[in-house]
Amino acid sequence: MTATTLPEVSQSNAEVPAGRRSRRGLVFGLTVAVVVAAVGYAVPYVIKDTYTMSLAVEAALLGLLALGIGFLARHLGLISLGHTSFFGGAAYAVGVGVNHYGWSMTQSFAFGVLVGTALSLVMGVLVVRASGMGFLMLTLALSQALYQLCVQTSFRPLTGAYDGLLISFRPDDTFAGVNASDLQNPGLFWPIVWIVLIVCVVAVWLLGRSPFGTILEGVRENEERMRFSNYNTFRPRLAAFVLSGLVASLGGALFALNGAYVSPDILGFSRAGDSLIAAMVGGLGSLIGPLLGTGLYVWGEAHLNTGGNLHLYTGIALIVVLVFLPGGVTGTLQRIWRRLRKERPGMGGRR
Amino acid sequence: MNKRFPATALAAALALSLAACGSASSSTSNSGSGDSATIKIALIPPTTGALAQFGTDAVKGWQIAVDEVNAKGGIDGHKVELLKKGTDGDTATTLRVAKEAVAKEGAGFIGAVMTSPEHAALNAQLQGLGALSFNALGKDDALVGDQCAANAFHIVQTNSMDINALAGSIGSMPGNKWAIVAVDYATGHSAAKEFTSAAKAAGKQVVSTQFAPLNTTDFGSYITKVKSSGADAVFAVEYGADGIAFVKQANQFNLTKSLKTVLGFNMVSEPLFPALGASIQGFYNNVGYDVAGDNTLNKTFVSDYTKKYGSAPYYVPADNYVAAETLFAGIDKADSIDPEKVRDALDGLTFDSIVGSVTMRADDHQLLRPSYLGQVVKGDGGDAFKIVATAQPDKTTPQAESACSF
Amino acid sequence: MNAAQVLNGIALGSLLMVLSSGLAMIYGLRGVTNFAHGALYMSGAYIAYSVSLHVSFWLALVVVPVALALIGVVLELVFFRPLQNRSHIELGLVTFGLALIAERVVVLIWGEKTLSVDPPPGLRGTTSLFGVEYPTFRLAIIVAAVVMAVALVTWLRRTRTGLYIRAASQDLETAGIMGIDVNRISLIVVSLGAALAGLAGALAAPYVSLDPGMGDTFLIIVLIVVVVGGVGSIAGAMISGMALGIIQTLTTVWSPSVAVVVPYVALVVVLLWRPQGLAGRRV
Repeated sequence: MTATTLPEVSQSNAEVPAGRRSRRGLVFGLTVAVVVAAVGYAVPYVIKDTYTMSLAVEAALLGLLALGIGFLARHLGLISLGHTSFFGGAAYAVGVGVNHYGWSMTQSFAFGVLVGTALSLVMGVLVVRASGMGFLMLTLALSQALYQLCVQTSFRPLTGAYDGLLISFRPDDTFAGVNASDLQNPGLFWPIVWIVLIVCVVAVWLLGRSPFGTILEGVRENEERMRFSNYNTFRPRLAAFVLSGLVASLGGALFALNGAYVSPDILGFSRAGDSLIAAMVGGLGSLIGPLLGTGLYVWGEAHLNTGGNLHLYTGIALIVVLVFLPGGVTGTLQRIWRRLRKERPGMGGRR
Repeated sequence: MNKRFPATALAAALALSLAACGSASSSTSNSGSGDSATIKIALIPPTTGALAQFGTDAVKGWQIAVDEVNAKGGIDGHKVELLKKGTDGDTATTLRVAKEAVAKEGAGFIGAVMTSPEHAALNAQLQGLGALSFNALGKDDALVGDQCAANAFHIVQTNSMDINALAGSIGSMPGNKWAIVAVDYATGHSAAKEFTSAAKAAGKQVVSTQFAPLNTTDFGSYITKVKSSGADAVFAVEYGADGIAFVKQANQFNLTKSLKTVLGFNMVSEPLFPALGASIQGFYNNVGYDVAGDNTLNKTFVSDYTKKYGSAPYYVPADNYVAAETLFAGIDKADSIDPEKVRDALDGLTFDSIVGSVTMRADDHQLLRPSYLGQVVKGDGGDAFKIVATAQPDKTTPQAESACSF
Repeated sequence: MNAAQVLNGIALGSLLMVLSSGLAMIYGLRGVTNFAHGALYMSGAYIAYSVSLHVSFWLALVVVPVALALIGVVLELVFFRPLQNRSHIELGLVTFGLALIAERVVVLIWGEKTLSVDPPPGLRGTTSLFGVEYPTFRLAIIVAAVVMAVALVTWLRRTRTGLYIRAASQDLETAGIMGIDVNRISLIVVSLGAALAGLAGALAAPYVSLDPGMGDTFLIIVLIVVVVGGVGSIAGAMISGMALGIIQTLTTVWSPSVAVVVPYVALVVVLLWRPQGLAGRRV
């Protein structure tokens, strides 16, 4: 167990050693993904209410952000407070593409993802050599530096500074077959974000099972030994960081398309903290933990926020998870599941 | 594999149950405008930070109007209900609250939203929401320019209207070298820009322009810069508590004593007089609402408000009251509470309000009303505004901006 | 660039100095990056507001450090001590959660509006100094901060408890082996650190108004100051705090866009090239 990260992160793959990940598991996982994707498609037909649908879309978009954070935490043991800068940076870039350069939505989307990923490359080069608290502080500092730059008066023509960026899409423009004003309708936007989310989840999962994932685990467990074994540890770490940034950027670019407005708060300290807490409460040790945590967060934001008390609850949830329930919701459930399985007679128990 | 399964299953179950909760609770609400006989207005003022006091007072303005109307049995028999919400000023929160109020609680009308950025974002969503918004505090010109929306109605004067009103008086204000300290929002920037042209036209010089983010509490650097720029007059656009901090700290640096004129813009207002202290006597400020306005509607409003809340109204509750008057006039003319019909009825509508006879211009949905310049003077019951100049809308906003098209 | 701007910088630097000394002590001893430090500062300011309103500002200057010291005791006994074997990140995140809770509780008690505190009579006016007129209260802050800094450093260097603290900050395990009661020292350090944060808040209350976001505003800067100053070096943190206050204020005059990124650039540079900080002795 590395001392610079959370215990559940190290334990996440301890149950299934790298060599034993079988083809059966692969097929099973892909089948689950297809089924879930199909089920998700039906959601707008079940939930007719626009407001609840908009919450679902928000959860999916922020879920991409959390997925990026979770990927980094799970495979490299690095806790990041900087991913909101890729999410927000991509969103701003989409706005700049449409407003400033006059590009189409599809082109601006691509531009947004590119900019977000480029930001993660730049930040990654600076931060991946650090670990633990140093890494956390660096990601926080760099993301806040980006926030400060965005609200500077000198950048007002580009970013709108404190006013935020209102994106004026051309009415006849379409993205993935949906036109500009329909994109703001959560029911019509849902299929796009759902597919992207499922694809990213599957991609992240497959990466985790691949040799690349094994290298990352090795780096996480004992970086020194990996280097002595002649593995370049900088490049895999950077690659993992950039990949997590790519996932977050996808979320941010879609967010801009759906909301048509980007506020600088999305790059702020408060949001960065919220995204991390959501991922942690869900559980950083599992693939879907962060997604589950984000769902809980969006639900809490909508229902528990009377009088602005949301942060009271997120603060309490964070402490409860850290002190009593390491591994968050999914980690706790896994422990309960394992204990139940162990108690069944004739089950030969896992070690 | 085996450990993923329970997690997946649980996640799916949880998501579906939350969704079911969501749709179950929403199925009991209706979409509001047609079948329900109650007019529902969602109020989304800021509840935190420098503008929190204004948020509370904005709601008070609406409340007086609604109480009055309900006491008479409603408008054409429809009672009015206020859905009092709140926001922390983050536009995303305001939008979410607005969407919830419209979609789940059936609000057809939105009011008390405060800042221009919130209005800009909200304007973009109004068509999709099918609701009307009544803007009684966001003064940025863009809101009746390229950010205008067919479903948005601009009750308060825009920055350019106010600056045009005081432009004529700048020449007679003592002081030739002006320093500008403005809030770092689009409103602050447009006010600064327009003031600069008006000052230059009056033969004055602008020697320093600075922008401070909202919720700035330490104006030391800004004040020091003003002092070192050699300015002898200041144009200050600082809202709410920021304005209080600015004035107090300017006193502490002895800046105020060295200035010949302080022209506040949306900075000095009656509720802040006690906090600002005696140093503001002699300050000028734009006045949107004349509390001593001599018409029956205003006198009733002032006395009702003072009786209920213990102090006289100022521009924030008054403008929100005018917003309510506008909405009710529209409903009355349309003979319906359907937002679309009300919207169409409001185009070009002239009606009597507490600020006199006003017209809702159809081209940009700007309410045409007078603007004033006031000076703080010592009165019998404390400080008060003396109106030193008045300008009518034909001077302050002769035509709508071409950038606005519905 | 005139004397008033320099004084502005020193005033800001003084606040940062008081705040960062408290944080550096906690960081040096417990290894905890105390994300709740901004919330402690905020609590101090709000308590000072209430005490000033009902009694006097001078009493607030006494009450606040005591109250915050008690909060520090709770922090140490309930969180830092039982969790001392957890990783530093976990502890840091726990303090992060505590900050969220504390900041919300303060707002629930005192409300969300921006509040202002007047300087005490006697410190309300303007003083002429170096050819400029400067608010007397801000000068008082500078004096108070310098006095506190000198007192703190003297106490650390001259007293036995100070010696134990310095020893424990350098190497906790060895200090324990050498017979220093680490738990008692930790208690003193954490409550003193919290008291210093509270004192900074009380001093700041008439200087910057109280608003719900005031904790966050300073938190990141103070964290950066402590990391840049160096692990375990309280003097280093204080000097960095003062230096950053001055540099940032003066740079703002020249170019606001550059000034805002100065602290972040400093942090990145230090963490990458000299992770133990400018004055730190161990990584």
